[in-house]
Amino acid sequence: MNAIKRLAQVNPPLLALLLAIILFFAGGLINPNFVNTNQAVNIVRLAAFLGIIAAGQTLVIISGNEGIDLSVGGVVTLAAILVYRISGGDNALLLPALAIALGAGALIGAINGLGVIAIGIPPLVMTLGMAGVIQGTILVVTQGQLIGATPPIMASAISEPLLLGIPGVIIIWILLSLIMWLVLERTTYGKNLFAIGVNRTTARLSGVRVPLVVVATYALSGMLSAFGGFVLLGFTRTVFLNLGQPYLFPSIAAVVVGGTVLAGGKGSYFGTMSGALVLTLIQSLLTAAQLQEAFQLMVLGVILLALLSIYGRQRKLRQ
Amino acid sequence: MSVSLSAQHVVKRYGGVVALADGNLDVQSGEVVALLGANGSGKSTLSKIITGVVAPNEGQLRLDGHPVSFKSPSEARRHGIAAVYQELSLIPDMTVMENIWLTHEPISLGRVNRREMRQRTRALLELFAGTYGEALSPDAIVKSLPPDERQIVEIVKALSSEPRLIILDEATASLDSQQVTRLFELIADWKTRDMAVIFVSHRMEEIFRIADRATVLRNGYSVGTRPISETNGRELVELMIEGATQPDARERAPVPADAHVRLRVTNLSAGPLRDVSFSLRDGELLGLGGLQGQGQSELLLALFGAMPSTGTITLSGETVHFRHPRQAMKHEIAFVPGDRASEGLLLSRSILENLHLPSWHKYGIPLRMKQARASAQANAEELRLVAESLDAPVSSLSGGNAQKVVIGKWLLRDPKLLLLNDPTKGVDVGAKAEFYGLLTELRKSGAAILFYSSDDDELLGLCDRVLVFHDGQLSAELQGDQVNRTNLVAASMGSLHAQAD
Repeated sequence: MNAIKRLAQVNPPLLALLLAIILFFAGGLINPNFVNTNQAVNIVRLAAFLGIIAAGQTLVIISGNEGIDLSVGGVVTLAAILVYRISGGDNALLLPALAIALGAGALIGAINGLGVIAIGIPPLVMTLGMAGVIQGTILVVTQGQLIGATPPIMASAISEPLLLGIPGVIIIWILLSLIMWLVLERTTYGKNLFAIGVNRTTARLSGVRVPLVVVATYALSGMLSAFGGFVLLGFTRTVFLNLGQPYLFPSIAAVVVGGTVLAGGKGSYFGTMSGALVLTLIQSLLTAAQLQEAFQLMVLGVILLALLSIYGRQRKLRQ
Repeated sequence: MSVSLSAQHVVKRYGGVVALADGNLDVQSGEVVALLGANGSGKSTLSKIITGVVAPNEGQLRLDGHPVSFKSPSEARRHGIAAVYQELSLIPDMTVMENIWLTHEPISLGRVNRREMRQRTRALLELFAGTYGEALSPDAIVKSLPPDERQIVEIVKALSSEPRLIILDEATASLDSQQVTRLFELIADWKTRDMAVIFVSHRMEEIFRIADRATVLRNGYSVGTRPISETNGRELVELMIEGATQPDARERAPVPADAHVRLRVTNLSAGPLRDVSFSLRDGELLGLGGLQGQGQSELLLALFGAMPSTGTITLSGETVHFRHPRQAMKHEIAFVPGDRASEGLLLSRSILENLHLPSWHKYGIPLRMKQARASAQANAEELRLVAESLDAPVSSLSGGNAQKVVIGKWLLRDPKLLLLNDPTKGVDVGAKAEFYGLLTELRKSGAAILFYSSDDDELLGLCDRVLVFHDGQLSAELQGDQVNRTNLVAASMGSLHAQAD
């Protein structure tokens, strides 16, 4: 236990990754068929969807001041519907449709950011309200009639093996992780983002334009969620009104399990990726164990609490 | 009901720091005792001990002749002692009457009697009738009130417990002259009703208007008590500084009169700061003195674009009006804030990230980390920063080393005008000496420095010219031989109006 604690102190993302690997092999005890390459690829593939959707959430949570984005689910759904409808299944219209979806996501995020920093609405309230607005708008505009189609090239690029038998979505995820690392660790924006997450007064007195960074962060979160919706559409190949909502709370849980501090100023996308793997694995395991849904939820909750209490202990030690 | 309170040889230590070495104070029914002292003399510690906010390490408090020791402010209040502080202790989101009666609400039949509460609040506010606006009512939300009316609520709150002894700690600072006069009328009335008053103020003029006796603290020691009728301002100031040696002034060096004028400020007002004008030349170390909170911090914040201001600021002949620190930084201005932890540092982030926070944009996309690390390394060596590595969090550093990081991040930008807001607070002696050396080097390299310090010795030892602030205004500009302790303390009490030619 001490060793685990020490590991959690050094590196929560690594601890989460280790946990994922242990969980995977523990799956073999429940069901010997669980441990094989196909299953591993499948779990990483499922985790990739959650991981991509949680990318924006990571940025917003790092930005601090109770930063959180509850409009993630709505934006995922909206982006998928936009691509579905605008492209109408035509490969040629795929890129314009994607551009419009990403733009819509960024715009929604920017409005969230403005509401938070310019009007001073708490992020929880602002983004929750925005989620309602998005959901309502979708209903009003479509009247529940979701017409359109998924361009075949997109579905195959995302769902089918692209390179060495690895599904496209995993390759997309790896590319995204490189970009996220660059953004967070190797740009002025990333450095300023951590700074405003730790202490906005210090950041301002060091020349950081705090409102600009906040708006940019929420806009990025909206855009990344929209990208998540796009990728998810390539997997489901159809849209429904509740497409993104189930990913909202897992997206927050993945960020936190990955060691990103809810208070802001500390975290990594690598952590979020590990978190997404852990959450996906737990869910697959519980399904494999053929537990009732209610029990699955209970077990999931207990595991999350256990992990967070280890991290919490670490923060206390620090102070 | 008469009262007498006597503090005898009271000592308070915070860790190794002695805040109060030998505090003695006597006050009785029907008199007002003024408590005076320069920065760090121990006046607030002594008043906190009397009101039970902190417990003394040694010594004795005697109330009506019996030894007492208060474990909390509410216990002191039960003994009839109440205090009014300048740092407001009201809860902003609650109403006036809820604040006043907090923890001693009028109760009837097990419920808070709001009607009685309202009536009694009205009666208390009536004491100040005619000196405040219409907004001040029992049901007004405290945060909607201006500072002077909040201060009135604060005074009334102390009165609500019907104290026998009341401490007014800088309680007049935000009141206007009419309100002060009313307060003094009330104090005169309290005296006839056998109350005792301890009056802490930085306004010498008020002390002579209202006090019967004055007790002076110096460096944590009570050094004397004088009946007001037998003393004058000069004697009290001398008591406040007596015997203190003039610090070594070898660092002081006047700048040539033809040096380039870096900064000219005309009629600047910001927050409590009113109509301040001065100029600063390249290579000059200009001190800002006076008691704490007289507008010095606001002056620096306004110059750095971190606080709105009116008036004219001219940098090397160019009139500027900054709305964000970023604009000031583009004009090669640097600001070292007063509170390291909350304004100067990102505690949980690394030394490297703290040093480069104002400068990352110089390193392109993706950031050239090798180059950034090398310049941070050179900077750390120049400042003799003692740290495990540049990747260690700043929270792992000692006070002096943490302060080096705050200064280092600006040195990396090679500033031409430095604004220093009490930079050596909580810094050990060794690091202070290094810091003074650094200031001398910066002056030699031609930087202009505006230096606020709450430590008079620093100003006397380092600055050839000192602007002394009192109540948001420049009360004196001391230059050359005028920069001595007597003038500095007198000016900080508002009783010296020397203007250098």
